[in-house]
Amino acid sequence: MTAGNRITATSPAGSIYDLGYRHYEGKRRGRGYAIWSLYVESLRSVWGFGRPTRAKAAPFIIGGLYAFPAALQLAFSSTLAAQIQSGQTLELFTYSTYFTQFGFFMILFCVAQAPELVCRDQRYQVLPLYFTRALSRVDYAVAKLGALASGLFLALIVPMIALFVGAVLMKPDTLGALGDEWPKALPALPACLLVALGMAAIALALSSFSPRRAYAAIGLVAYFLLMEIVPVAIYAVGHGDRVNWTWSDKLLLLAPSTTLGSAVNWFFGTALDPSLPSTLGGGDFLVAAIASIFVFSGVLLFRYRRIAA
Amino acid sequence: MNSVAAVRDIAGVTLRQLLGRRRTVLLVLLSVVPILLAAAFRAAGETDIERFTRIVFDGLYVAILLPLVAVLFGTGAFGAEIEDGTIVYLLAKPIPRAAVVIAKALSAAGVAIALTVASAGLSGVIELLPAGSDGQAATFGYITAMAVGSVCYATLFLALSLFTRRALVIGIGYMLVWEGGLSSLLPGIANLSIRQYSLGVADAFIQLHQDPARLTPSTAMTLAVILVVVAMVVASWRLMRFELPGSSD
Amino acid sequence: MTVQNVESMPGPAPAPAIELVNAARWYGNVVAVNDVSFALGPGVTGLLGPNGAGKTTLLHMLAGFLAPSAGTVHVLGRSPHRDPSVYRQIGLVPEREAVYPFLTGFEYVRFNARLQGMADADAASRRAISLVGLDDAAHRAIGTYSKGMRQRAKVAGALVHDPQVLLLDEPFNGMDPRQRLAMMDLLGQMAEAGRTILFSSHILEEVERIGTEILVMVSGRLAASGDFRAIRALMTDRPHTIKIRSSDDRRLATALMADPAVFAVELKDGSLAVQTAHLSTFRRLIAGASRAAGVRLVEVVSADESLESVFDYLVRR
Repeated sequence: MTAGNRITATSPAGSIYDLGYRHYEGKRRGRGYAIWSLYVESLRSVWGFGRPTRAKAAPFIIGGLYAFPAALQLAFSSTLAAQIQSGQTLELFTYSTYFTQFGFFMILFCVAQAPELVCRDQRYQVLPLYFTRALSRVDYAVAKLGALASGLFLALIVPMIALFVGAVLMKPDTLGALGDEWPKALPALPACLLVALGMAAIALALSSFSPRRAYAAIGLVAYFLLMEIVPVAIYAVGHGDRVNWTWSDKLLLLAPSTTLGSAVNWFFGTALDPSLPSTLGGGDFLVAAIASIFVFSGVLLFRYRRIAA
Repeated sequence: MNSVAAVRDIAGVTLRQLLGRRRTVLLVLLSVVPILLAAAFRAAGETDIERFTRIVFDGLYVAILLPLVAVLFGTGAFGAEIEDGTIVYLLAKPIPRAAVVIAKALSAAGVAIALTVASAGLSGVIELLPAGSDGQAATFGYITAMAVGSVCYATLFLALSLFTRRALVIGIGYMLVWEGGLSSLLPGIANLSIRQYSLGVADAFIQLHQDPARLTPSTAMTLAVILVVVAMVVASWRLMRFELPGSSD
Repeated sequence: MTVQNVESMPGPAPAPAIELVNAARWYGNVVAVNDVSFALGPGVTGLLGPNGAGKTTLLHMLAGFLAPSAGTVHVLGRSPHRDPSVYRQIGLVPEREAVYPFLTGFEYVRFNARLQGMADADAASRRAISLVGLDDAAHRAIGTYSKGMRQRAKVAGALVHDPQVLLLDEPFNGMDPRQRLAMMDLLGQMAEAGRTILFSSHILEEVERIGTEILVMVSGRLAASGDFRAIRALMTDRPHTIKIRSSDDRRLATALMADPAVFAVELKDGSLAVQTAHLSTFRRLIAGASRAAGVRLVEVVSADESLESVFDYLVRR
């Protein structure tokens, strides 16, 4: 250690003395660790951990509401089991249709949490602080996307677990039921992953264009709802009495919830919603969902490449 | 102090606040979507008024555009001032708090009305007016629904924005969950649903729905007026007790 | 004398413009202002204290935005809480920087004047704008202003209705030294015209310029009040602690003890802690003493130069 003890004019132009600053001499970890840290912190903030209770309210209430029907089914599984004959199964909610039925809670989850993740960094102009670290712009976007997708995945998987536990407990022969049930439940993992990634990519890409959370939120709802209704409406008109717009059924592949919900069906091998056109299969929706993940991730990365830090 | 002048001045500043460039672009884009859809109906030669009103007016305007726009302006009228801390300039003035609330509500509801009525009117002109007197009546009915709904949503969520910073998310949740999901399961919710107030008042012009749970025009209007008055009183009461966020914020 | 002790106030004196009696404010279990009593009349008073001392909370209580959790707060003889009419007599410059960015400076000041119900808002606004020296930028959007200009626009908006009481929260933030002087002059003039002005600051030197009455807050309590110079003297007369490391601490200690300017010497953790009354005298002394004793100095650090330690001293005293 050098101590600035002697006052010797080393340079006539001026000099900076070492007054005993504490140097960091520990190990410096690289870019991977930086991405990981940002990912973990962002995931925590999606669920409000490490934040005041106020920040936990939205994710936990919305996540709780989403899981509530499945939890009800779990709670009443024994009552239901008593009322139905053995060998018969009674399921109000199933793995494959749960998201289609209650997915609007997940839209709400995105609306509440995606703007939290990215808007404030722009509004308070702290992005330069990130980009001058080991992180690159792409890393930042990837970490945030991963965090939101993981957060969503957790919310999506909880009711699946509840349904699974309920289905197993409903039967008297627990071990046998376990063996029967897990192959049926297993597609829930890739399905939830796909839905989580699909919603996260859309939500984050759109949010990243606004520094104000309010406008990001409005943009998100508008996208999720309008893109749902408009293709359906055009399809309905296009197959009216006078015209036959054959292309209009393809528009349904743009509807985010329909696409993700139908792709989930593909994983479980179950039939699509009968109101959907017969020209589209589960595989089409799966491809559309994956394509949308790529497109919106691309938009997100593009946005962060261009954004003025 | 001339409260009317104060209302006018605050409303003027609020309008400029609400109509920033980017947000206006976003909202105009939003309100153009249903118009385009109406044009598509026209292009397809669709003449079924019932189907058009169900998809475009009920599905897009009443269920999505109206609540989104009105909730955004309603929560934004105070929201931006609270977030930036500029609300202190309004609070530190010798004006009745009710005048501040009225000015904010007027501007929020006014902008929401302007946007939704213009958009719904255009859609009606494109698709419904050619359909004759029934189409005219439907257009007037839905324009009224836009106006009533704008005032109700804007004032309710303006009041809420004085209690929580997440008023916008709560508003979107209200629209998605309460009016969207639950009201089809529990018909009694109609009495507590702005969507039903708007549709009920619109029913004075045309019989829109066959749904037995809907409200009569007079009931709907009464409930809407009660809602607006209560929201304004609560907002004024809250503003009187409003505590500024500390400097640590 | 504008800062007075409440208890010692003579009977029916004219009501002070600002009066706090045992005022306290807490948020949950955090006490922001703790049992503060003082009364102010016309003049400029500085409210000093480190960050987090409770200055903003105190000003917000005076401005009627917060009710005291205990005790009373009076401005011009009445409680400002939930009484909007009191704002006719109060001007407030908040700490936060934000001003409507889309308004021009003139529009902003006129907005304030109109909400104050002034008959000729335009004339009043022009006057206020030129008082703070913003004439040139008056018709530019505030969004384009520098920090100092924004601060002056806020001040203009607060004094446009010529209030009896002016409360300013960190008004000198972002101003350059010249603007600071001009602003202090302005406050001085208003004080001479009989206005009561209370401004907060965490920088001693800002107050030194005005050279007036001050209140010092530390950790929510009133630590000192009175004439600035008197308090400053009290602060500077306190013993300073200086940490020294040298080639031979023990020998240096003996040499230093011989000098009357040194109160105490302590050998601790491989360094030497010296207490002295006068820093400048000591600085001259140490050089000679070390040379005479043949000791090489490695490090000489003043242990308590920060403002916080000054305030801290005041509290512990």
